[in-house]
Amino acid sequence: MASTLKEYDVCIVGSGAAGGIMAKELSEGGAQVVLLEGGKRVDPSEFLSHKWPYELQFRGLRDEKQAMFYQGDVKSSIRYENSDNVSADRMRVVGGRTVHWNAVTLRYAARDFREWSLAGVEEDWPISYEELAPYYERIEAMIGVCGQDDGLEILPGGSHYLPPLPWRRSERILQRATKTMGITVIPVRKAVLTKPFDGRPPCHYCGHCMSGCDVSAIFSSATAMIPKAQDTGNFTLRQNALAREVLVDSEGRARAVSFIDTTTGREEQVRAKVVVLCAATVETARLLLNSRSPKHPNGLANSNDVVGRYLNGHVGNGVTSYLKELEGSKPSNLDGATDHVFIPRYNHLFPKKHYTGGWDIQVNLANYMFPRQALRLPGYGSEFKNQVRRMEPGLLHFGIFAKVMARPENRVTVDPHRVDANGIPIPVMRFRFCDNDVALWRDSNQSVAEICSTVNSRMFSEAGDKPSGFASHEVGTVRMGTNPKTSVLNGYCQAHEVKSLFVTDGSCFTTSSEKNPTLTIMALSLRTSEYIKEQRRKGLL
Amino acid sequence: MERRTALRIIALGAVTSGLDALGAPTHCSVQEGTAWTPADYKLQFFTPAENELVDQLAEIIIPADAHSPGAHEARVSLFADLMVATSNDAVKEQWRDGLRLFQEAAVKSSPAEVIAQAAAHEAYPTTDLDRFFIALKQMTVNGYYTSEIGIHKDLEYIGNTYVAEFPGYPPLV
Repeated sequence: MASTLKEYDVCIVGSGAAGGIMAKELSEGGAQVVLLEGGKRVDPSEFLSHKWPYELQFRGLRDEKQAMFYQGDVKSSIRYENSDNVSADRMRVVGGRTVHWNAVTLRYAARDFREWSLAGVEEDWPISYEELAPYYERIEAMIGVCGQDDGLEILPGGSHYLPPLPWRRSERILQRATKTMGITVIPVRKAVLTKPFDGRPPCHYCGHCMSGCDVSAIFSSATAMIPKAQDTGNFTLRQNALAREVLVDSEGRARAVSFIDTTTGREEQVRAKVVVLCAATVETARLLLNSRSPKHPNGLANSNDVVGRYLNGHVGNGVTSYLKELEGSKPSNLDGATDHVFIPRYNHLFPKKHYTGGWDIQVNLANYMFPRQALRLPGYGSEFKNQVRRMEPGLLHFGIFAKVMARPENRVTVDPHRVDANGIPIPVMRFRFCDNDVALWRDSNQSVAEICSTVNSRMFSEAGDKPSGFASHEVGTVRMGTNPKTSVLNGYCQAHEVKSLFVTDGSCFTTSSEKNPTLTIMALSLRTSEYIKEQRRKGLL
Repeated sequence: MERRTALRIIALGAVTSGLDALGAPTHCSVQEGTAWTPADYKLQFFTPAENELVDQLAEIIIPADAHSPGAHEARVSLFADLMVATSNDAVKEQWRDGLRLFQEAAVKSSPAEVIAQAAAHEAYPTTDLDRFFIALKQMTVNGYYTSEIGIHKDLEYIGNTYVAEFPGYPPLV
């Protein structure tokens, strides 16, 4: 049956950060590309970003503004078993999580690729910072990143930044105070435009990045990459196409992808010489594990039972604090582009701790419209109400993101007896934090408490007794590595066992750092797209 | 993050947990629906007597004062009715029982007196009434500060708009 279908050069699954770059690069390079996306496009004019809470049925609570990005049964079609308090953030919409993100784009540092060599834990990546640096540089120039090169070893910089976001008064106060602690505050680097770029207008400082940018001032694959792929005439986008299985030929090579058209419920197939999975950490592992064949009885590219393992993501905390210095100030428009400044990892500069890894802090990614202190301040009555109002101008919020160890026992599996609305076996997640993760998390909370004390702010921590994750940063289930026994992919994100199969979403990460993964995902996707082009030229794919 | 009037800040995790705690409606799905106005709102869960009690209690928690109107004028009880009506059975039960407990206690003293007693145990609630006060206060806070009155008249919030340059803040002195 499949032989009567058109054969594409490349089939990409997923249209987020990885899939968008891959689609643009390969179709511009002349390949015939088809992209399967489980969700449908939502036009920015439909976003609810600017709606006032009282214009919405549930006042914006219950993730009301973002519900349109989580299509179908994506939220319910997952199980957690024997897990700590973690959750995966799976989305189904054209553009994936780039439609609904805060756009912080950080390069991994050289040390982040070398955990085994430097700290004696986990594994080294099969590639180095030096190898990836030119691709970081090109991605930053391609997507539009504001910020600057701060000359820090822990956060390497490039030369293509748009002007940094202006600082709020609270952020200047923070910088002044943390200087005495040896902690550096720098302009945040994020894919938010501070001047017109690539046909897109600059940020209008409404503070609603996470609900979708109605003018595309924030980078999204849906508005900045997919249209470029479409302009080539080489690109076919299949929306509402939920990938079920990667199909192989008698030699075990990936040759097609079967999917459910969720609008008709019918199963269809697309044939391709190369398959690139960009469906994100949980879904890509699920897809490989659901792709069983005589040559790959344990799931595709999984003879070593590594697919689905080494799941990790950030452990974090949110700390809301209120500067005494700004208490009772007159209200002003503080919305901005959420976080404007950033605290890179600093614990490596201090005496060595009993754990490995670090954290960084996104400052003021909180929303300025809702007074969060009202949920935490004791009391009631007029005094309570006045106190809420007086504290509000001093908001200084800390979003802590800390490294989690990549460990084989933390994993995604599939259960053939539990299926989603389309009859596809759903992912089952099992995850436990290890002692190192917990020690790191505790120290990060302690450190932010010290910052709050130094800066003289009243602090409310959201941390409970136990850590939680993954802050939408889950990675690692289809890891790269030099050793085919402990990894699925080589340094070009190509499956050791299946040469026509590539994976460039976060699942390919060998290990994590404290940094947000998206820029690295995009740089890896760009690098892999070049490798695919080169291999195709040589006739090797 | 995610992220919300409680705008979501980050998709997940502790970073966001505080704001979505409202009613813990784990089995509630967001229904197709649009904004509603107090004028055309019909009670879905509270009896008229319960609604009146919630209205009275919410106004004690966030009262009208010289600066701005309170929870009564912001019609917080109607918001509470919608949120509870669309929550799971455990939440509904807590509200039905909690309001009954408040009513019974208030007969012996006064609503203000019952609130004062429960609020005294806010940090370490011991009774069902104490625990219900916490849910009631959280609901009142969420309802009030997402209302036009809470946002514009009380907080005098400036923002949610298009500006060419980030207006920011007065310079640091």
